[in-house]
Amino acid sequence: MSVLAVPEPVPMRRSEPLPDNIRALLGVRRHTAAAPRKVMAAPATLPGRTIAPGLQLCEAIVAWPPAPPLFHAQFAKLDAWIEPERLVLFDTETTGLAGGTGTRAFMIGMADWHEGQFRERQLLITTLAGEAAMLDCFASWLRPDSVLVSYNGKSYDAPLLKTRFRLQRRASPLDGLMHIDLLHPVRRRWRGAWENCRLATAERQLLHVVREDDLPGSEAPAAWLGFLRGGSAAPLHRVAHHNSQDLRSLGGILHQFASPQDVPLINA
Amino acid sequence: MNALPNPFARRAVRQDGALAAPVLGGDQLASRLTKRYGDRITGSFVQPAREGRFAPLPGDMPPALAQALRSRGIEQLYDHQAQAWDATAAGKHVVIATPTASGKSLCYTLPVISAAIRQRAKALFLFPTKALAQDQVAELLELNQAGGLGVKAFTFDGDTPGDARQAIRLHGDIVVSNPDMLHQAILPHHTKWAQFFENLRYVVIDEVHTYRGVFGSHVANVLRRLQRICAFYGVSPQFILCSATIGNPAEHASALIEQPVTAITESGAPVGEKHVLLWNPPVVNPDLGLRASARSQSNRIARTAIRAGLKTLVFAQSRLMVEVLTKYLKDVFDSDPRKPPRIRAYRGGYLPTERRAAEREMRAGQVDGIVSTSALELGVDIGALDVVVLNGYPGSVAATWQRFGRAGRRQQASLGVLVASSDPLDQYLVRHPEFFQGAPPEHARIAPDQPLILLDHIRCAAFELPFRNGELYGPQDATPWLQVLGEEGVLHQEGERFEWIADSYPANAVSLRSVADGNFVVVDRTEGRQTIVAEVDFSAASLTLYEGAIHMIQSVPYQVEKLDWTGRKAYVTRTQVDYYTDAIDYTKLKVLEAFDGSPAGRGSAHHGEVHVARRVAGYKKIRYYTHENIGYGPVNLPDLELHTTAVWWQLPQRVLEQAFDHRQEALDGFLAAAHALHIVATVAVMAEARDLQKAVGSGDGAWFATPDANGRAQMRAGFGEDEAVLQGPFVPTLYLYDAFPGGVGLSAPLYERREDLVRLARELVHRCDCHAGCPACVGPVLAADEQQERSLKSLATRVLDLIVAL
Repeated sequence: MSVLAVPEPVPMRRSEPLPDNIRALLGVRRHTAAAPRKVMAAPATLPGRTIAPGLQLCEAIVAWPPAPPLFHAQFAKLDAWIEPERLVLFDTETTGLAGGTGTRAFMIGMADWHEGQFRERQLLITTLAGEAAMLDCFASWLRPDSVLVSYNGKSYDAPLLKTRFRLQRRASPLDGLMHIDLLHPVRRRWRGAWENCRLATAERQLLHVVREDDLPGSEAPAAWLGFLRGGSAAPLHRVAHHNSQDLRSLGGILHQFASPQDVPLINA
Repeated sequence: MNALPNPFARRAVRQDGALAAPVLGGDQLASRLTKRYGDRITGSFVQPAREGRFAPLPGDMPPALAQALRSRGIEQLYDHQAQAWDATAAGKHVVIATPTASGKSLCYTLPVISAAIRQRAKALFLFPTKALAQDQVAELLELNQAGGLGVKAFTFDGDTPGDARQAIRLHGDIVVSNPDMLHQAILPHHTKWAQFFENLRYVVIDEVHTYRGVFGSHVANVLRRLQRICAFYGVSPQFILCSATIGNPAEHASALIEQPVTAITESGAPVGEKHVLLWNPPVVNPDLGLRASARSQSNRIARTAIRAGLKTLVFAQSRLMVEVLTKYLKDVFDSDPRKPPRIRAYRGGYLPTERRAAEREMRAGQVDGIVSTSALELGVDIGALDVVVLNGYPGSVAATWQRFGRAGRRQQASLGVLVASSDPLDQYLVRHPEFFQGAPPEHARIAPDQPLILLDHIRCAAFELPFRNGELYGPQDATPWLQVLGEEGVLHQEGERFEWIADSYPANAVSLRSVADGNFVVVDRTEGRQTIVAEVDFSAASLTLYEGAIHMIQSVPYQVEKLDWTGRKAYVTRTQVDYYTDAIDYTKLKVLEAFDGSPAGRGSAHHGEVHVARRVAGYKKIRYYTHENIGYGPVNLPDLELHTTAVWWQLPQRVLEQAFDHRQEALDGFLAAAHALHIVATVAVMAEARDLQKAVGSGDGAWFATPDANGRAQMRAGFGEDEAVLQGPFVPTLYLYDAFPGGVGLSAPLYERREDLVRLARELVHRCDCHAGCPACVGPVLAADEQQERSLKSLATRVLDLIVAL
């Protein structure tokens, strides 16, 4: 008989206890990162107010940037007229750039023009368990006719958030929404004219924004991780400030594109 | 038979007086070789042709699929294909272990396509190499087209362009990939594949016999991660695995997927008659028992076969040997540069485009002779062949049959010739044909819980999905490992959960195929060029890319001018030399901790952890054809260090003093005994010879012993040129160690069988036909060492007698 039925799984190798020498073995191949020093949480308060366990919300209403008029989104290669109330500007702060399922957003900044004024709302998780509430809250801000506005969000922020929604077993509210990623029109117009097309360059060239004491975006992950591991909350204020400036610049750049007569000619 | 022998070549044959008449089939070639070289043939057997056993197309198959099969001329199935259909229909995990070219792929294609037609169910196919994956997709597309089935199959590998990936993830019914892509690209991005995973019904894994040892242990862990992701999406796909003939297909398949598996092992496919010859090169120096090289014999057999108009494939053990043999055959058959080449080399390390071109030429029958490494052992489609020559024993009975299986046409007898090298294992086998004939195929083994491999994959798994406290990974609780990763700072524990927190992509740092990551690229700088001409594995780099090395690419010699070790680059230029180079390496071991120990005769045996330092100390220049050593060169490369597990034997100084007149004798005995023990141990645990290594040294790492130019032991304290030894206690130690960091589980079974091993080694030495010792028992000996009293053979026996169980 050629079909051999195997009734039981072949007994597996006995499960070995964690070898005492595992660290020595590790040392052969890599230098173990020094374990982070546990420090007592500094008394600095967290940004915003707690709206759910592990979730902070910061809200602010500012005069600048002004709301754009009703505009046609041709500059973003979209054939649609957009009412400014539909716009949802967003920008995330993440634990890194590695990509894949292991990278998460610890802050989602969102802005819209509410009753004609620029309204910023930032969600910040202070525990990993706060993520689900953060995603639900962000989802509640989106409507089926919302138009997303971001800077490089099509390739970075949106896929990352979709992954997080999926991992939390939630439908992604971003699917099917119109999305204006300002990086692309900026690139089409000023590539080669500017040294690069990063947001910091665009805001300087177009809006004459000069940041003061800005936390470089690359230091945001360390600020949050430091807090998570028991460090100070103080750097989180700088992260929030940085994110808020990103949102305002996003609004300013959109305003420029939406009001074409205001767009300066090549500003180089 | 579309290759007409070159008329000039034929005349040359006549002048030689050999094989003047054309030979038509493998059987006739076998009998002619036997007639002419009878004294070199130590074994010869014939596998008779076998009729096919057939079964009708299953009635429960979707009519469109049955129609597609008929339109491709398939009116019935082989017996084993029908069995596979029934077993998969019954919901079982299945492994099909039948010979090469028995139509294994239909065993999985049929259930997969029928589920795709009926339920739009998805399937993931995993092949060990990209080339196999591409062949498979071509076959699926043909079948699909024949029946207008509307099933979409795509390859997904490193060459898949970024804009195609999204479409494949969403619309692929069958995604054909490899374990490395699953590990590095699919699992860490599983959310993008959510739709695919939610509908995943079948996972097909072909060539599972290649997933053994280190690679197999990695793959088993990738499959653990795959099943973990599947559970997240609420599916538990059915596995269909295929294997070449191995001794334990059900057990091995079940070890890989950690679920019960039904094995189908009888092929219903018809096969032509197959002749097998075992060939031992003639003795050229009877005093020393020195034989002609395997290379010279393989070259001769291949030449004869190609001249007789038979399509011939020569398997060589190393890339270097592929190049050397290609050169020899090209010297004969490709001397006219105006004609298309009749001889091709095929091996890893060529660029993919070059390999595809070689495969196409072979399928088209334009090539008469192919020289390959194990790269062609798997099912890469290269068309039908008549003769397979193995230049050296491939290390296992299973691989031998797998390679012989490459030759064979339905209508005509094929021939396989195994040419023994001077390697002791080869000599052992070729002199004991009954072993080869009667040997059950080897068992494939994996050690998925090897600590370093396990930690690597728990790291990757934690990146993919958070772990809960107490969660099982494979059979064991992952928690202690998660704590180690927490200390390292890559995981953060919060309540019951361990979550990935680092800004890194761990799968990129874990290579499934080698210990250390990073292939070396070979850059040609001849006359201002700056082009990549080859790639070399990290593990092979220190042995083949040292500065001064002659590196052969398609038989063109390049000399390595500069090696950028950290940048993983070797810069080479074209050269004209009449020699090749061979690395000399030294190994030094030190016992770190003994896990277990027991008396062994008048000494002791132990099992534990050791530290191994290995250095490529220099290289030899060896002249082509004569193989004389014409010089040495120094090598300056970082030492390779690893912690691993070993089994070792020691004798107390007092016993040694009674048994041996002086230390030199004892050391010679230890080296010789190590040689014999290594041979029997390699066979006993069915290891890849390079995965299990031997060494003789001091237990405390103070010195090690290597054979000098005369085959006599030389003690060295360090890796320097003249570091002679030594003070302190003399406790020579014979090690067999696992050549992978942390060990892959070879040494524990060796320790368990320690008494058997010593006994078998003693028998091996005792029964060997040689007088004083030879490579098949205790290692090579010189003429001067023939006196019985102090021959290596008698010294080895003395050591083995002292450690054999009382």
